[in-house]
Amino acid sequence: MAALTLDHVTKRFQDGTDEIVAVDDVSIEVADGEFLVLVGPSGCGKSTTLRMIAGLETTTEGSIFLDDEPIAHRPPQRRDVAMVFQSYALYPHMTVRENMAFGLEESTSMPDDRIRETVEETAQMLDISELLDRKPGELSGGQQQRVALGRAIVRDPQAFLMDEPLSNLDAKLRSEMRTELQRLQHDLDVTTIYVTHDQTEAMTMGDRIAILDGGRLQQVATPLECYHQPANLFVAGFIGEPSMNVFDVTYDPADGKLVGDTIEYPLSQSVRDDIGDRTDLVLGVRPEDVRIVGGREDRLDSNPAHEFDVTVDVVEPMGDQNTVYVTLGHHSFAAVIPGLQSITEGVTETVHLPESAIHLFDARTGEAIHNRSLEAVDEDVNRSTETETETETETETD
Amino acid sequence: MGTGESTTTEAATETESARARATRGLDRVGGRRIALYLVLLALIVLYLSPLWSGFTTSLKTAAGFATTTPITPPLPEYVTTEAWLEAWGRMRFAMVNSLVFVLPATVLSAFLGSLAAYGLTKIDWRGQIAILLLFLIGVFIPYQSVLVPLRQFWTIVDLPSLLAFSSTLAARSDLIALAITHTAYGIPICTILFRGYYLTIDDDIVEAAKLDGASSIRIYRRIILPLSKPMFAVTLIYQFTNIWNDLLFALVLVRTSRNFVATQALNELQGAMVGQYNLQMAGAFIVALPTLIIYVVFGSQFAKGLSGESGG
Repeated sequence: MAALTLDHVTKRFQDGTDEIVAVDDVSIEVADGEFLVLVGPSGCGKSTTLRMIAGLETTTEGSIFLDDEPIAHRPPQRRDVAMVFQSYALYPHMTVRENMAFGLEESTSMPDDRIRETVEETAQMLDISELLDRKPGELSGGQQQRVALGRAIVRDPQAFLMDEPLSNLDAKLRSEMRTELQRLQHDLDVTTIYVTHDQTEAMTMGDRIAILDGGRLQQVATPLECYHQPANLFVAGFIGEPSMNVFDVTYDPADGKLVGDTIEYPLSQSVRDDIGDRTDLVLGVRPEDVRIVGGREDRLDSNPAHEFDVTVDVVEPMGDQNTVYVTLGHHSFAAVIPGLQSITEGVTETVHLPESAIHLFDARTGEAIHNRSLEAVDEDVNRSTETETETETETETD
Repeated sequence: MGTGESTTTEAATETESARARATRGLDRVGGRRIALYLVLLALIVLYLSPLWSGFTTSLKTAAGFATTTPITPPLPEYVTTEAWLEAWGRMRFAMVNSLVFVLPATVLSAFLGSLAAYGLTKIDWRGQIAILLLFLIGVFIPYQSVLVPLRQFWTIVDLPSLLAFSSTLAARSDLIALAITHTAYGIPICTILFRGYYLTIDDDIVEAAKLDGASSIRIYRRIILPLSKPMFAVTLIYQFTNIWNDLLFALVLVRTSRNFVATQALNELQGAMVGQYNLQMAGAFIVALPTLIIYVVFGSQFAKGLSGESGG
């Protein structure tokens, strides 16, 4: 078990005369025992990064450290890391027992009976004891997955590297294994780098998430930070399902308003301060924060200036919640509302985009210039209760 | 019960209707089918006739093969196993010679081909393409074109004097030269065959083994070699047959008659004055026997290897 550090790691491939930068100056520090998820769309360089840590790819520039030892120039055999492959990569001619013992036989001088014991203990932990004498071809996908995990665990390596290990499983088994993997990682307390393209896996499994796009590191943060305080437009769009709604707007400093094709959105002073002298912006609101206001009681904490009349296009009921797609002028966006709130397709409704929940990005660089802060969420809740009380008082006086 | 009955009835109805169809279409369909079988039968007779006449001839006395056609089965008064016994007696030493050089040449060329293919597919190094190209060219060099340089090479490399420390080895140096020549000549085709097979083995397996701490040689020994069984069957059969049946290299490289290989000994059975056909035929069968045995023994593995299934 060890901390893992990537220090300005770059990987360039030569493709004929073209040079392709697969990983561009990535630096990440992974603490001892931490579960870090590397996530990004396909071709973002996450697998290449993992393979460089494993030693299966050379690094063009930069260094990799396990604790304080540089390992970038060691062959994979001498790095003491274990990897779980997407294809499982079990040795087809060996039994499960032989598959699991292989690493111990090759990398340690452990006597045979000790190896046997270790393999059996690990198999017990993973509940695959009864499969020990079978060959991989006789196992189901889920069982092969467990054996692949067992082969990594049994070696007790400095770090686990996992390359989309769950992507070949069906949906139900995948969510089971997700929980089990987290439990195992927690129990074993081994530093783990987990590569996936699935943002749900990233959000639910990682202590921290590292988001890559085009070979560049976009953000390294806890799942909630990535969700609430994305570093840029890419992270904002990648994390969260459905994706964040975005509107191209220009900032009008004279009126303190955002002006888009279809919306005008006045801003409070604190948000204006964040904008500075930028003018071309992108306004983002998560579908979960978009509220469809119906009756008068819904409107109580709503700011009329932040309300817009929209047409309901499609309603996707999910049981606990509904995803509603609406159009504002020719701009379409999504709202997630409680499952019991009934909305009819085709009718006109009013949506509220609360200012406390908006994100602003620089349209040119994509960089976040204003995020909702978690304190702001609390404040918002407080304020709305206050407003409610005020309104109530008002009503009474009326 | 119910379902069983209905199935039986259905089957009965089906058979009936099939029979009816068959009767109706007998003239048309049946006629065509009979013609097809006749043609097939004729082809079988055509293909088997050399083998058959060879076999009958080998069992006939001199008077037998002189007075009857080759296709006629040996008549009781002409039957003899003398030709087989004589052929065996005169060729036994050559069969042993052949086995002694063919087996190592076969195994070595297959093994070295497999190693080379492993290096060309699962290990990264510069200049692979150039080496692969050399192997490909090696496959297409005809035997005839290398005869003179080959003879010259084995004259320059004076094997008998190199092996002078052991009189047995020195005396058998022709066979050793033959084994080395066939090994070298067989490596390119074996490499190409193994290469195609290794390309189908998932690279992830090799990478997993690397991370498990295994060196390249250990990976070959413990992962690649055990997975290569079907392709070994293919190359072993192919090489054994090729090397066993070769006469050309033997004629050029074997200088003393005690080192004659089976194909040369068979050639010697051809008398200068009188054609002893029964003897030659029996000899031909004896020479062909080992390759047949190899096919039977490795047959199922051979089929697997050709279909590109990886073992496991």
